[in-house]
Amino acid sequence: MKELLKELCSAFGPSGCVDSVRDIIVKNLSELNPTTDPLGAVTVRIANEGAPKLMISAHMDEVGLMATGITSDGCVKFGCVGGIDPLVLSSKRVVSENGVSGAILSKPIHLQSADERKARTEIKDMYIFIGARNKEEAKELVSVGDYFAFDSEYVEFGNGFIKAKALDDRLGCAVMCTLAKNLVKVKDKIPYDLYFSFTDREELGFSGAFAAAERIKPDYAIVIESTAVADICGVAPKSRVAALGKGGAISFADRATIYDRDYMRFVTDILERENIKYQIKQYVSGGNDASHIQRSACGAKVLAISAPSRYIHSPSDVVSYSDVVSIYDAVYAVITNKDLPFEQAKEKI
Amino acid sequence: MISVLKKLVNATGISGREAQVRDLIKEEIAPYVDGVETDAMGNLIAHKKGNGKKLLFAAHTDSIGFFVTFIEKNGAIRVSPVGDIDFLAFSYSEVVSENGVKGVIISEKDGEIPKADSVYIDIGAKSEKQAKSKVRVGDFFVPVPKMTKLLSNEYAGHSFDGKVGCAILIEAIKQIKETKNDLYFVFTAQQEVYSRGARVAAYSVRPDVAVAVDTTDAKDKSSVSDGNAVLGEGVSIKIKTSRMIYSPEVVEKLREISTRHSIKYQCEVANSGTEGDAKALQNGAMGCLVGAISVPCANIHTSSEIIDMKDAEETLKLVLKIAEEYEI
Repeated sequence: MKELLKELCSAFGPSGCVDSVRDIIVKNLSELNPTTDPLGAVTVRIANEGAPKLMISAHMDEVGLMATGITSDGCVKFGCVGGIDPLVLSSKRVVSENGVSGAILSKPIHLQSADERKARTEIKDMYIFIGARNKEEAKELVSVGDYFAFDSEYVEFGNGFIKAKALDDRLGCAVMCTLAKNLVKVKDKIPYDLYFSFTDREELGFSGAFAAAERIKPDYAIVIESTAVADICGVAPKSRVAALGKGGAISFADRATIYDRDYMRFVTDILERENIKYQIKQYVSGGNDASHIQRSACGAKVLAISAPSRYIHSPSDVVSYSDVVSIYDAVYAVITNKDLPFEQAKEKI
Repeated sequence: MISVLKKLVNATGISGREAQVRDLIKEEIAPYVDGVETDAMGNLIAHKKGNGKKLLFAAHTDSIGFFVTFIEKNGAIRVSPVGDIDFLAFSYSEVVSENGVKGVIISEKDGEIPKADSVYIDIGAKSEKQAKSKVRVGDFFVPVPKMTKLLSNEYAGHSFDGKVGCAILIEAIKQIKETKNDLYFVFTAQQEVYSRGARVAAYSVRPDVAVAVDTTDAKDKSSVSDGNAVLGEGVSIKIKTSRMIYSPEVVEKLREISTRHSIKYQCEVANSGTEGDAKALQNGAMGCLVGAISVPCANIHTSSEIIDMKDAEETLKLVLKIAEEYEI
């Protein structure tokens, strides 16, 4: 799973431009006949006709940048694709969809006024230097609308930590690929009509997952994600979200979804019984594909389990690999649990 | 209707945690409907069969409230708002958890406008351990249920928003014996968080016409009140709110029915105000005619909302006549 994670994190794939990521996944799951829908989501199914539908979902896209213009001196102006803190951007290395390297620059400190030094540099005051000497040279390399992504190596360090770009949510993709390949071998143990959806455009408002869910019409869905943690020093305990190394964080609510409590308890009961590490996400923040899967079609009961990630949406996402493994174990245990969550939602009188 | 409203107010539930309210409604209406089911989002969908047009009435079961996010060393409970919460309005209110643990919302910064990060609930616990024996992260709190009769026909209380609509629909279900139109009564979940439930319910039912029955922001007695409707002036028919135009043919029909049956009504045109479940119903149904009728409610989204029960009676009359007479 680690090798695949490394390969996925190294692939280029801001929202709407995930071809390289999709190719890796399609190749990896070729024996499961992956299909691609018009919004770019890849789906594989382990069919069990007539059984309740369970959709496992993770997103392929990462946050990135898009060129909005080229200055007279050959630098690239840009906007963000997804939510990025401008503080993160300054002086970072980026690479375009066509492989053009660049570095993000802003006004040098010796030219900044006292007020400017105190204020945060805004994105409108930043630009990407791509090594062009003038506008004409730059235009040869980059066009308005070209995507850029962080240029950042995958590194394993310390006691089981990984640093990379795009761990949000390639770790979910790696877990899902591994799950799909292992679960197809124990098909008889799965009481669901099982779907794995690798979605695009999560970072831009969940439209890929919504379309995928409208197609699948799941009864249940589990979203595998990463979440901000805020577990570093200086953050008051009440504002901390989750902690690295304590297992997948299960959300009861975030800013986009209120999760089904009965389904959450069904899952946590299994994890307690199987002795699989997990934690409850504390602070109500963030949001993910679960929101739009929940309200798709006739509605679905949803759960989100996330790997705590420091410095999320930066070139240096950091996760503990043990959390990724815990999530794999957790979702595997839930899918192969022989009892269904509860009587199907529709109880007629 | 007043007795069923009292029962509803005493049942607690925030968005996404509506089970108590839903169970109560199910018990009330089960003998009077041809079918009732709960969907994955927690919408309760009741059906009274008819051969005519498919009409959907919606009222929401959820209320605004608080999710527990953290328990401090000293036993203070940190919370996150669910729905549109003004912490100034709720500071020093008595609250109760889903498991009956009582507490008070305290603002920790004197002289500052309280926000989610600067309030806590004091349940009287002396320690984290004691607090955790009563309250878990993810539990919800709501203002202590109450319903007080004021002069005239006015009542003050919490969670009229939503529950008055539910009371009206329950009463309508009980009073309608036979129906020409094919009637669906949907008690929706998660209205206070952008109407997440209504969309899904309308997708399953696919009505020809949907009418949301709710409360609407009413003027209070202060000179600066910016409410859209007036207490005691009857049912409010929405024509336009900030981002929603209600189907003109429905509005026209509602006015015509009201006039013909001497139902006291007022019309609402506002640049502010939210569209409630109406817009989500229209989208979920892949496009259907929608209307919204409301009981005016002053001080909405506080623990002392005020309604005039006469307005609720007029709203009920209109619901009954729509169900009986509406043709497309």
